Amino acid sequence: MKAWIEKYFFVIRMTWIQALEYKANTIVGTFAIFSGLAIEFLIWKQVFQAQGINEIRGFTFNGLMAYIFLCMIVGQLKSSWVTSIEMIDSIRTGDMNKYLIRPISFFTYHFMMFIGHNSLFYIVYSTVLILFPILLPGWVFPTSFHILGFIMALLISIYLSYAIYFCMVCFAFWFGEVRALVIAYNISNIVLSGQIIPLRLFPDSVRNIINLTPLQFLVDFPVSIATANLPMNFWLPKMGMALTWCIIITLVGRVIYRSGIRVYGGYGA
Amino acid sequence: MEDMVRRYFSLWRSFFDNSLTRDLEFKANFIGGLLVDIIYYGIQFFFFSIIYSYVDAIGVFTREDVMIFLVITFLADTFYMFFFSGNLFNLNRLMVRGDLDYFLLKPVNSQFMVSFRYVKSYAIVSFVILLIMLTTLVLAYPKPIGILNVFAFVISFLMGTILWYGVDFIISSSCFWFKNFSVSGWLSHEILKFSTRPDSIYTGLLRKMLFSMIPMILIASIPTRTLLYGPNIQYLLWQLFIAMIFLLFTRIIWKRGLLRYESASS
Repeated sequence: MKAWIEKYFFVIRMTWIQALEYKANTIVGTFAIFSGLAIEFLIWKQVFQAQGINEIRGFTFNGLMAYIFLCMIVGQLKSSWVTSIEMIDSIRTGDMNKYLIRPISFFTYHFMMFIGHNSLFYIVYSTVLILFPILLPGWVFPTSFHILGFIMALLISIYLSYAIYFCMVCFAFWFGEVRALVIAYNISNIVLSGQIIPLRLFPDSVRNIINLTPLQFLVDFPVSIATANLPMNFWLPKMGMALTWCIIITLVGRVIYRSGIRVYGGYGA
Repeated sequence: MEDMVRRYFSLWRSFFDNSLTRDLEFKANFIGGLLVDIIYYGIQFFFFSIIYSYVDAIGVFTREDVMIFLVITFLADTFYMFFFSGNLFNLNRLMVRGDLDYFLLKPVNSQFMVSFRYVKSYAIVSFVILLIMLTTLVLAYPKPIGILNVFAFVISFLMGTILWYGVDFIISSSCFWFKNFSVSGWLSHEILKFSTRPDSIYTGLLRKMLFSMIPMILIASIPTRTLLYGPNIQYLLWQLFIAMIFLLFTRIIWKRGLLRYESASS
């Protein structure tokens, strides 16, 4: 176990050093969050002003902005589509052979690389999240339990999101080029997981369908905990559901990977 | 001058033929590209359908107006993608690996080469579909839209594309100064997001900026206004002025950037 931890911790450390070389990623990522928030702020301001209302489905304007702001941060932290594209390339070009002849797991190695690459984001956004309740008290993290609940839900969200991407990546064993599938999922995921519009504002029919999928646990769940939009007595059952989804998706990923590795030629497409 | 235009047009046609042959070799990717476009359009329509379930109009833009605005946004995106996105997105890679040398050695204008070499041919299919959608929406629009509006719209739309080329080119060319600016495509995409929302949401200083320094409003909102509410000569002249300024900037930045280029060791 110790050797396992050391091995993958080394991967995180190595990719973290690489990530430090590309600080521009973090600057652009932060710009993406603030520009996205500015657009959302302006559009919802128009909605609230035009209708002369103070609340939409339980969201006040400030509450909605706090929610969307957190959604954007969580959305970016859990998104591993860049890692997924690299994984697809390694399957397509035969570059994956190096993982097969070494005592490392293709799944875990890339997961650690994803965490390592994202490490700069974690530092910057953690600072923003710490400043958030100080600058705007009352809108997020009303108690320390909410901080703890948010961190747990965020960790689940990051793992679940990666596991879903992994399932899609494995289709590259059969089709070679599945970038379009990953990008299509990524685009739809931005809206359907509640990253730019809270799920609560969706039509009931759409929300009922989303509630049957793991998408609700990717962004909406951690942010609802942080903003106290989800009562505490729902936390444990929801976390249980989220963990069940993690297990299901991990198993599905394993089955697809094992079938895929049998058809993998190893010579590149 | 005429000979030069003819020569460059014929060169672009060769680029197009070559790109089409390449794209058709990867049919799954060709279809995948179309699938991504369809999902992107669907998601944007869904986003605005939720917004409009709580509001009747955003500024002057009613639900019908915004539907037309969205199709124009998609058209602008597809049109731009067809000509430029396969090229400017790779500029940083070309510079870092020193592959830009091959472009500079050719006996043609190097900016033309790096801007037009690869054509994303699958965008034609999306473009035709969107054009049909736009025509349907325009015909079903509650008020009649005259031929003058359509003519002015085409001019405004083309100027919007030139503007977007200018902004994207300037961002991509910054790799000459940063040595490795692999996130330029991401930055361009984030800035472009401002053009995908109706201009009526922007007010104050931000609106002024989006009309001039970062002219995102001029890409889709002004063409939409021209089509729906008729040509506004002030808007069109301003669009022309800013487009020319940005085009001029691309020339200056490209020439200055090349002076800093150190081939593969960059």
